[in-house]
Amino acid sequence: MDTIFLMNSLWVMVAAVLVILMIGGFILLETGSTRMKNAGHIAGKTILTFGIGSIVFWAVGYGLIFGSGNALIGFSDFFYSGYDIEGLSLSGAVFFLFQLAFAGISLTIAFGGFAERAKLGAYLVFAVLFSVIVYPPIAHWIWGGGWLAEHGKQDFAGSTVVHLTGAMAAFAATLILKPRIGKYNKDGSANNLAGHNQVFTALSVLLLWVGWFGFNAGSTVSVDGAFFGFVAVNTNLAAGAGVIAAMIISWIVMGKADVPMMLNGALAGLVAITASCAFVDTWAAVLIGFIAGFLVFYSIRFFESKRIDDPIAALSVHGVAGIWGTLSTGFFATPELATVGQPGLFYGGGLHQLGVQALGVVSSGAFAFIVSFILLTIMKAVMNGLRVTEEEEIIGLDMSEHGSYGYPEMVKTEKAIISPDPKLNA
Amino acid sequence: MTSYLEIRRFRDDQIIWVSRNHLQLNQLHDEIIQRVISVSVKQTEEKHGSLPCPFTFFMMGSAGRFEQSVWSDQDHGIIYQQQGTEINHYFLALGKEITQGLQLAGYDYCDGDVMASNPLWCKSLSEWRQQLANWSNNSNWEGIRHLLIFIDGRSLYGDESFLEKLKIEVYQTIHKENLFHKVLNNTLYLKKGIGVLGQLLLETHGPHTGSLNIKEKALFPYVNGIRLLAIKGNIYETSTLLRLEKLSELVLPSIKRELYKQQFLKLLNFRLSLSKPDNYENSHYLPISTLSKKQKEEVKEILKNGTALYRYVRNLIEKEDD
Repeated sequence: MDTIFLMNSLWVMVAAVLVILMIGGFILLETGSTRMKNAGHIAGKTILTFGIGSIVFWAVGYGLIFGSGNALIGFSDFFYSGYDIEGLSLSGAVFFLFQLAFAGISLTIAFGGFAERAKLGAYLVFAVLFSVIVYPPIAHWIWGGGWLAEHGKQDFAGSTVVHLTGAMAAFAATLILKPRIGKYNKDGSANNLAGHNQVFTALSVLLLWVGWFGFNAGSTVSVDGAFFGFVAVNTNLAAGAGVIAAMIISWIVMGKADVPMMLNGALAGLVAITASCAFVDTWAAVLIGFIAGFLVFYSIRFFESKRIDDPIAALSVHGVAGIWGTLSTGFFATPELATVGQPGLFYGGGLHQLGVQALGVVSSGAFAFIVSFILLTIMKAVMNGLRVTEEEEIIGLDMSEHGSYGYPEMVKTEKAIISPDPKLNA
Repeated sequence: MTSYLEIRRFRDDQIIWVSRNHLQLNQLHDEIIQRVISVSVKQTEEKHGSLPCPFTFFMMGSAGRFEQSVWSDQDHGIIYQQQGTEINHYFLALGKEITQGLQLAGYDYCDGDVMASNPLWCKSLSEWRQQLANWSNNSNWEGIRHLLIFIDGRSLYGDESFLEKLKIEVYQTIHKENLFHKVLNNTLYLKKGIGVLGQLLLETHGPHTGSLNIKEKALFPYVNGIRLLAIKGNIYETSTLLRLEKLSELVLPSIKRELYKQQFLKLLNFRLSLSKPDNYENSHYLPISTLSKKQKEEVKEILKNGTALYRYVRNLIEKEDD
């Protein structure tokens, strides 16, 4: 067997493992950013839905994305059995696993919009529907040889495919589920339902940051020219710039370096560089991450002021930063690096690539949002509501959906804090 | 008036008329509190016999400083002349009676339990002397914090001289042991009210969204800064305005004295006229959107001058340390 084939396979296998470990990052992110009465539920359902997503991806997801079909959808290679794939200079099974991991991340992001109030059943059903109907078409359009790929869309590792798609599903979910109890006051002002563990949240960011080397650098799917190193450098720079920008802007506007905001800044930088990491110079990576850090700050405040309750800031971190990241190549893609599409506005490419990127964002975002919204509306009707009862929400989903608390010793005191109404505490 | 509820009715009737006038409002508070104590003394005498010895009841916190808003919580203590187990029990019972009475009359319990119902704040003269010495000798954070609370004490009932004597001793100790740096450290934390772009930093979450927390961001720097200067200048007044008036040229030049006096008075008036004083919590927040452009500028001026005062006090103390 030739060495390059083996080395490619090995590198992408490492990357796949890193991306799957990002699920662990999301567990820490989502639990850390929410209240302890839901921690066990959030951790458990994340593993469960990744399991569901994996099986669905094996059965149909892969075929819908990479199977031969038309510009809109693939339709072959269902129930992938481990064979090597024609035209790929790496193991077919490794490539499959790597793609499966991406689908799992997108699904996990979507569930951010469900946090702290959706029934377990809603997770199970939507995990299947998202993995069949929402994610594969978009992935096919951009990565599977569909119409956006032909169009020259640059989305190296999935700012649109993975992040925006997940965020749009989260957006639909959070609109349908409505805000959590206690999030908004009668006069429309928002309360801060602070996450229970900032250390978890910070560790999650580190885990995701490192996992992103698999996500972005692994998306080279080859060791050719060791280009993955350059991609990883860009990725790291954007994350660094994102955290700094979010710290600066929150300090300027709010007078304090807000910890959750800084952490979201790092993630926004990572999401934004995901599309552009292979197409832009290092200085542009810094700028892209920096702008993402600013955007995420204003985006979080915007959604909150519109009474859209997004507990883990999925809309801002993955949605807004995903859009910015996708558009960024339209400005910064260099002639040397733009192996797909054309150079950006600042490199004499004119508005062409920016237009291509914008079209990709609008069509993919709209598709993910509309389809998710329809699916969730149907589910809501069929399943007699997607949300747990008020009482269940107040005692926490750990207890209502699973029968035991993630923090059995601690949660009693928390109950007293969240429910000042003595009737509910009785 | 013979019952707390009657006093409460009196309060509710009267307070509307003075709720926009700082001086009259605080006079009324004093009157209400004194009436409560009279009833409490009577009740305690009925239950436990006549008073065993002279005592003084003193208010601390905003009441001690004569700076209460419409609603206020309780901070108070008792000093009694003689010592003894029976006497201790007696005055603790009186302290509890007063605490409950004040609650019925419309004053929230103190979260920090700085109340005469707590043995820590209800002691004989000699025990107080011992406790104050401990607080200054250990001079840990909590001890200094207690000393500062005590320094804002003002007698409202009984023999004032007990409190006066103790305060003189406390001041002497602070000077002798040079505890100023520790006092400064205790009140150094200043919540920023103005951002780097010169904008007011308002609450971003919760029921007070869009309001300015004037207690922590505006009142504290003045109250804490001027208290420290008052200790420095051996001024025993408790109200910030009176302290300012009496400060010597050496401690604070008269131009600044006048400026801070105006600013602080303006702040008290803003609080009374613009905050929604329907409960204790709300009186600490200024709904900025209801202010005119000029008023907003005035609030910013107050905050800026508060920070400047703070910096001045800090420099003064730190310079002396070097």
